[in-house]
Amino acid sequence: MNGAARGPTGEGERGPGCITCGDVAVRMRVLAVDATGETARCVDAGGRRETVATALVAAVAPGDALLVHAGVALHHDPGTAPVPVRGGA
Amino acid sequence: MRFVEEFRDGELGRALAAELPALVEPDRTYKLMEVCGGHTHTIYRYAIEALLPEGVELVHGPGCPVCVLPMGRVDDGIAVAQHPGVILTCFGDMMRVPGSRGSLQEARSVGADVRMVYSPLDALRIARENPEREVVFFALGFETTAPSTALTLMRARREGVPNFSCLCNHVLIEPPLRALLDAPGLEIDGFIGPGHVATVVGADAFGFIPRDYRRPVVVSGFEPLDVLQSIKMLLTQLASGRCEAENQYRRVVSPEGNLRAREAMAEVFSPRESFEWRGLGSIAHSALGISDAYAELDAERRFVVPGAQLEDPRECQCGEVLRGEIKPWECRVFGTACTPERAIGACMVSPEGACAAYYSYGRHEPVAETA
Repeated sequence: MNGAARGPTGEGERGPGCITCGDVAVRMRVLAVDATGETARCVDAGGRRETVATALVAAVAPGDALLVHAGVALHHDPGTAPVPVRGGA
Repeated sequence: MRFVEEFRDGELGRALAAELPALVEPDRTYKLMEVCGGHTHTIYRYAIEALLPEGVELVHGPGCPVCVLPMGRVDDGIAVAQHPGVILTCFGDMMRVPGSRGSLQEARSVGADVRMVYSPLDALRIARENPEREVVFFALGFETTAPSTALTLMRARREGVPNFSCLCNHVLIEPPLRALLDAPGLEIDGFIGPGHVATVVGADAFGFIPRDYRRPVVVSGFEPLDVLQSIKMLLTQLASGRCEAENQYRRVVSPEGNLRAREAMAEVFSPRESFEWRGLGSIAHSALGISDAYAELDAERRFVVPGAQLEDPRECQCGEVLRGEIKPWECRVFGTACTPERAIGACMVSPEGACAAYYSYGRHEPVAETA
């Protein structure tokens, strides 16, 4: 299943489940912001990287924490402690 | 946001659970409904029910959007997918949900071009890459997901992608909760509110539950300690006679929610007069359609869809499960005719469905339930 392949439900590793259509989201850390400012390259706690649309949150910067659902950031915590990353940033 | 591990600490969980018995009266039962399928998953994955005092029961609500989608809407998706030249895109969970004439997966097996996507933005990319094809996104989900679709449609218009459209099945959380609360004989003492829907709509949006229905609600995160703490907050309210909307998930959820997301939704969607819910029937203003301002991106206006309202299979008791009236194992086909591999009801199809959660974590029979 697509969601399972992408990773589990909730804020981190949670076993099988679709992350796309339930009331679930994934915490990610911003690695880099693209030139348009509309997307950011992010990484989750398991080291999975993804390009995330950031139009629905305030301007993001590297190191910020985001809550991401279906490829779109819904919540933004600027300057918080980084999400732990397996396999480097 | 803090680290996830802090909210999975077993020692902290046991300490929190040890505080619960003092909050319950010995001969009273407490039925608490977790609205969201994500919470159901956490409850079974971490065996939270085993930590609760006798008399405290968790009931699973209608918060899995796949589970509440009626068969007629699946049929609509299949009908669109069978149009010549169409690529229908949808979330993975949707693929196996049964309609009256099979699932999208089965439609794919006989030639329809149905593709799974992770995000509606992926569907828009497929449309850009296939300008000679019509690409339709089968949109589904509560307020957590609707902003992603709204953003995608805004982007499709801005970029001018004429071969992209959306078959919209987005639903709203408040109307079905009101429908449940309005039902006679409802025996729910309190609600564990959906944390990520609240990220968008805000914690204040759940104030109608204590205000209009005199039941407490706690908006909750999704880690095991979040859920345990939310249960403690509910039991504390009940013990002290309070009835309020509280927010356990403050590290993410604000009182007002995500205003940008709400504005995007308001621009792109308009409420439907009514929408059919599996197990709950037709509920007024409970779903979103594409607004007139975005009519050119509305697949329902671009294609002919059956739009039929269909009864659920007679042997399926998803409705009673979704209303919290029976436990999944009490359904007459649970684990026999209906399994995740061969599901009759949507609650067994989606990993977030209550039946699938029970089945996956071994809650197959009454003995396990009452142990």
